[in-house]
Amino acid sequence: MTCSITWPIVRAGLATFALALAHDTHAALAEVVAVVSAKSSITSLTKDQIKDIFLGKRTEFPDGSLAIPIDEVAGSAVRDEFYARFADMSPAQVRAHWSRIIFTGRGEPPKTAATGGEAKKLLLENHNIITYMDVRLVDSSVRVLHVP
Amino acid sequence: MRRFGKAWAVGALTVWPLSAVSADTPGVGSPDFVFSGFGTVGEVHSSDHSADFANSVLQPNGAGFTRNWSATVDSRIGGQLFARISPELSALVQVIFQQNYDGTFRPHVEWANIRYQITPTLSVRIGRFELPNFLFSDTRNVGFTLPWVRPPPEVYGLIPATASDGVGIAYRMVSSHLTNSTQASLVQETVQQPFGRGTLRARSSYNIANTTEYKSLTVRASYQHVRLTITSLDPFLDNFRMFGAQGVAIANRYDSDDKPASTEVVGASYDPGHLLLNAEWVHVRFDSFLGESAAWYASGGYRVGAVTPYLTYAYSSAKSNSDPGLPLTGLPPAAAGFAAGLNAGLNAILQGIRAQRTVSLGARWNVASNVDLKVQVDHTRVSASSDGNLINRQPGFMPGGRVNVFSATVDFVL
Repeated sequence: MTCSITWPIVRAGLATFALALAHDTHAALAEVVAVVSAKSSITSLTKDQIKDIFLGKRTEFPDGSLAIPIDEVAGSAVRDEFYARFADMSPAQVRAHWSRIIFTGRGEPPKTAATGGEAKKLLLENHNIITYMDVRLVDSSVRVLHVP
Repeated sequence: MRRFGKAWAVGALTVWPLSAVSADTPGVGSPDFVFSGFGTVGEVHSSDHSADFANSVLQPNGAGFTRNWSATVDSRIGGQLFARISPELSALVQVIFQQNYDGTFRPHVEWANIRYQITPTLSVRIGRFELPNFLFSDTRNVGFTLPWVRPPPEVYGLIPATASDGVGIAYRMVSSHLTNSTQASLVQETVQQPFGRGTLRARSSYNIANTTEYKSLTVRASYQHVRLTITSLDPFLDNFRMFGAQGVAIANRYDSDDKPASTEVVGASYDPGHLLLNAEWVHVRFDSFLGESAAWYASGGYRVGAVTPYLTYAYSSAKSNSDPGLPLTGLPPAAAGFAAGLNAGLNAILQGIRAQRTVSLGARWNVASNVDLKVQVDHTRVSASSDGNLINRQPGFMPGGRVNVFSATVDFVL
């Protein structure tokens, strides 16, 4: 009985410690994953497909259904990590990419959610949304995309 | 960029049906306004003090003769209002503050157009907009979108106008790996020239451009045909008409009275991540004193963290920078002297066709996600028969030679 209560506490403590270490080492930000609603039929996308949707080059998933990307607000660490990992782009490169589109009126960047939690709420509202979040926010309402 | 009007999250939760037509349209029937801004603050120094280095032949002065260090070559501020009226309909107005052809700083409306998305792949634009001649034509005023301080003048200088009035259609095709878009435009434009040279009028202008994107590779090819009228040289060229059929032929050949001009461009950009390669080739043919030219550049950069050093080589050549003019033999001495003067004047004009090569070394540093700092050194060798890129040439200016230009700019977008 004692054991079953203390073990989660120890585990949580270890996790916090690991997290603190991770924050010390610059590169080891929490893992950012690309997600859709658990009710979406999309299970897997390549890095290029995800990149194209977020850069506005494509507006549909491979099955032809509408893809609505949702970004976290500019400046968020999760957002910067997402673009570094999935598009090999720095925040300035992403901004320059959209500037080339915005200043000709050819398109608009993805709408933004203030936090991963807000993005998760939007996923429940609209199953065409694709977004990203800290893996620790993932729950049963969210499907993590398999990225081969 | 600042979005105002209705808070988007509320809009998303209340009016986004599952069958939303576009990812970018939170609401229908409630215009969504987006204000965006951009700007460049720069200083330029040129080693040649007998003429000015400028960003365009449409600028009245620059660095060198007018000022040792010039802030007017690259500095500008722009603001843009974009209105999403419905999922299909949008409007755009862009205003720019920069030194004008007459030296003033009055803001001007750079673009003002309405765009209608007929189908998901087909759209039409009416109003004032840019022509996609070159890879970076679309946003050549927005320094933050450019890998360099400014696009190589050897190539971009051949089409100095940045906006046209008319109608354009765009067709966009997306397949699994490839995006292909074709734009066709029917436009006209009137541009004011500096130094009291009056207007440059392009009429019956049509342009077709095709852009293909495959992964990190973008390839653009464009063709443009215009009928160009520049009357500033007519009083001079009309003197040739006094010298019989040969003189009339010379005047007709070099005047620019509704003369055809054509431009072909091919360019490619490769941007896989750290490496950044750009190259463009252009051929222009004016049936006038502006002559025929070919130009190209190749540029490479490598991103090291927030800093991207780059190296560019640009080359432009004129088919001819001279003309034998009127034959002087057999003319009475007074007429021969006058004809010799006309010939010299004609050759001075043809010397203005750019023939030069430039090596540029520079670096872009992304100071913040919306601010960059660039420094660039250009070493230009001008062909002996050409004035090169320099404007506002003063007595004592000699064609040919070498020019070094140093530029430092800060670009930003809002």
